[in-house]
Amino acid sequence: MLAIVMASVAQLPTGNAPFLSPGPAHAQDDWRREFDSICAKTQDADTFSPQELKELISRCDALKSRVEKLEESPRKVALKRLQMCKDLFVYILQSKENNR
Amino acid sequence: MMLIFFFLALAVPASAWFVPEPQDYGAVIIRNFSGRAGLQPVRFDHWLHRSFYTCRLCHVDVGFAMEENGTKITADANSKGLYCGACHDGARTYNGKKIFSSCSKGAGAAGESEGAKRCNRCHSVGKAGEEQKYDYDAFTARLPKQKFGKLIDWEKAESERLIQPVDFLEGISFQRRALKAEKDFFIISKSTWMPDIIFSHKKHIIWNGCEVCHPDIFPSVKQGALRYNMLEISAGQYCGVCHNRVAFPLNDCDRCHRNPVGR
Repeated sequence: MLAIVMASVAQLPTGNAPFLSPGPAHAQDDWRREFDSICAKTQDADTFSPQELKELISRCDALKSRVEKLEESPRKVALKRLQMCKDLFVYILQSKENNR
Repeated sequence: MMLIFFFLALAVPASAWFVPEPQDYGAVIIRNFSGRAGLQPVRFDHWLHRSFYTCRLCHVDVGFAMEENGTKITADANSKGLYCGACHDGARTYNGKKIFSSCSKGAGAAGESEGAKRCNRCHSVGKAGEEQKYDYDAFTARLPKQKFGKLIDWEKAESERLIQPVDFLEGISFQRRALKAEKDFFIISKSTWMPDIIFSHKKHIIWNGCEVCHPDIFPSVKQGALRYNMLEISAGQYCGVCHNRVAFPLNDCDRCHRNPVGR
């Protein structure tokens, strides 16, 4: 068990994402940090309240406009990934509302 | 038993019974821009890559589309560490072995240069003299096989830890906690003679996480509301997005339809 935990910690991202576009380092880290923060939550999406899911969806929308300013290749990948995160949050939100 | 097969044959179209050779099962030919770059198309073998990585890593974290030629991979994107270049960057390692870097822009396919050799390693479709780096039979010899033929039983291979697919790529994947599996549930069969399906979320999330299936493949937000049949599945919808293409084929009925009739 300890080995698994240590292996997981050893694999944590450094923040030097290869698909960051050229530009001011703080700006890159900024969107990437928000991106990671939002999309890491897809794991727990089912545990969030409808209000929390709505907030996450709003954050996806807000981040989208920042991602759209990246250069072509990173933008294409990041937009797709962000869309997948948002779609899952919307899906879980609708499931919760439907099954109420 | 014969009767069951008779009804099954009626219910499932011929395409579902056709299963490619094991070495070709899940093979994808990528040809969006190869011709324009003077290169042969790329052959991507799922059987090779999924022994190293989970489906989610590539189809969520790296962002590969689920449809053949849907990603539109470019050399530029690869060189920026995207798509194939996320792993094939010449620096990343697997099991201590360096992963060769992807084809770089302008390397071309002609000649014996290092760049050309690197390109030809993947851009090899239809190229005379190009040998497959990995031989299916040799590579899969130690892996358990499915009931029919020589296809690999990935579920068993994973559960017996004969493969330990990587689910996290530094700098690419999101830092995330372990996923908690939803409970298994029944999908009621349309036919009284056919066992119901016991769907295991746990088995699926090991490979896929949530986003691979929801909402793109399974959009319904109300359990039991989405109705689909074997015709649609064998046409590549719903379960058929993966099964009969990459995941185990549809002729292995009782791997899904496993709840005994009458229970």
